[in-house]
Amino acid sequence: MSSPSCAQPFSQAALEHLDALYGYAMTLTRDQTEAEDLVQETYLRAVRAFGQLMPDSNLKGWLFVIMRNAWLNQLRHNRSGPRFVGFDDATETVEHLVGKQADDPHVVYLRKLECHEVRQAIDSLPTHYREIIVLRDIEGFSYQQIASMLGCPAGTVMSRLGRAREKLKRILTSWRTPNVANAMSATR
Amino acid sequence: MNQCSDISNQIALWLDGELQGEEKRVFELHLQDCKSCSALVSNESRFLDTLHTAKQAHVAPEQLRNRVRAILDEVPAEVSAPTHLRKRLTDSLLLTRDSQRSRKLRISLAIAAVVAIAIAMGLWLGRIQTEQPGRYLPSSFALMAADTHRRYLDHHLPLEITSASPEEISTWFNGKVPFSVKLPKYQEASGQVKLYQLEGARLVGFKEDYAAYVAYRMGQRPISLVMTSNSVAQPAGGEEIMSRGLTFHFDSIYGFKVITWTDRGLTYALVSDLEERGQQSCGVCHQGVKDHDLIDRLKPTSAGPSSPSRDPRPTF
Repeated sequence: MSSPSCAQPFSQAALEHLDALYGYAMTLTRDQTEAEDLVQETYLRAVRAFGQLMPDSNLKGWLFVIMRNAWLNQLRHNRSGPRFVGFDDATETVEHLVGKQADDPHVVYLRKLECHEVRQAIDSLPTHYREIIVLRDIEGFSYQQIASMLGCPAGTVMSRLGRAREKLKRILTSWRTPNVANAMSATR
Repeated sequence: MNQCSDISNQIALWLDGELQGEEKRVFELHLQDCKSCSALVSNESRFLDTLHTAKQAHVAPEQLRNRVRAILDEVPAEVSAPTHLRKRLTDSLLLTRDSQRSRKLRISLAIAAVVAIAIAMGLWLGRIQTEQPGRYLPSSFALMAADTHRRYLDHHLPLEITSASPEEISTWFNGKVPFSVKLPKYQEASGQVKLYQLEGARLVGFKEDYAAYVAYRMGQRPISLVMTSNSVAQPAGGEEIMSRGLTFHFDSIYGFKVITWTDRGLTYALVSDLEERGQQSCGVCHQGVKDHDLIDRLKPTSAGPSSPSRDPRPTF
């Protein structure tokens, strides 16, 4: 969450957030090629807008806002592309996801499994839930920072985050037991 | 406001660091007395820790990294101060440096005096805090260690390596945790009767990284050792005992004895159900004759503060 300083030039500070931005881009697009394009577009915009960045502002948050705006802009220009869905528009049920998970090969390494499993569960959420989980629980932005990014009240962030976590818990709970058991048998 | 139903609605806010002022104070007071809410906090905290593991899921491909580097190389040159301006500024600073040096020295001495007083006050207040039972919660690291121990006992936390060899387990941690793990092998080298058994190890999530978890057993009684870098965890709270220049923090969490301390860049937690303060668990690393005094110093005195009636920690 650092801002560029004399000791750390903008380019170096901005590069430190590449993995986080790529993760956010994957969250938004769910497609590696699209995510890479979005990251590239974000950095292009950031370089062009560098002069507008205030000295003590939050560089990471600023880059995330640029990425989100770039993504929304792409959506507006591509109506056939993926869209943000409403709260009750989730089409994938837990049962469906469990079925998908069962097709996965056994994962030997338990931590990799956990990381993979959690990420997969997050990816299975509707976009607005996925996004808020990534912003808060993966990237650690505060409620107020997220509210600024999403252009909504902090109360909305709180309630949406609560619903997203509950949904994620349900998904992970339904996956956890068989996968851990599989991993255990694979590691012994 | 301190009803469980009100409090449970604030758990996520508290864990997210969004609870402030009076609400935060009331929440934390309630937690000290309410086992069920403490259990809810622990569960929610564990869930959020699990989510943090997903942070490492996406790493930008190398070709994208190179493309981004190329973009950032195009950052306009005028964002850096021109060389001649830098030189002028440096020169002017050098001119004034000598005249400022003596003033700086006076300021530094004044600051040092203030800092010394502040440290003395802090130590004095810290002493008062340890003498006022129930005011401070254990550190998050101690809570995590106790929770990890409990999950291990409940068979919810399988070991990722099963071995009785300290070398093998130390090697297994190489590259998996951002610090070096070297388990002592005194017991193996001494040829003495083995008082404890090394069982195995695994990684556990803490903050945004992994901590090292090592399972021991002394007879039928399990002992857990959790290690992480002291840059991510600092022992705090509980009863403080100084020994050999180290400060040990004793807590009773979930009914387990938890000892936390920092030494040479690492923070440790030992969890067990051993007697008194659980100081015998230190024997997993300090079993030599020269270490007996270390363990002895950690024993409570007969009227010591760790007697059950004075245990200052809330039971989670």
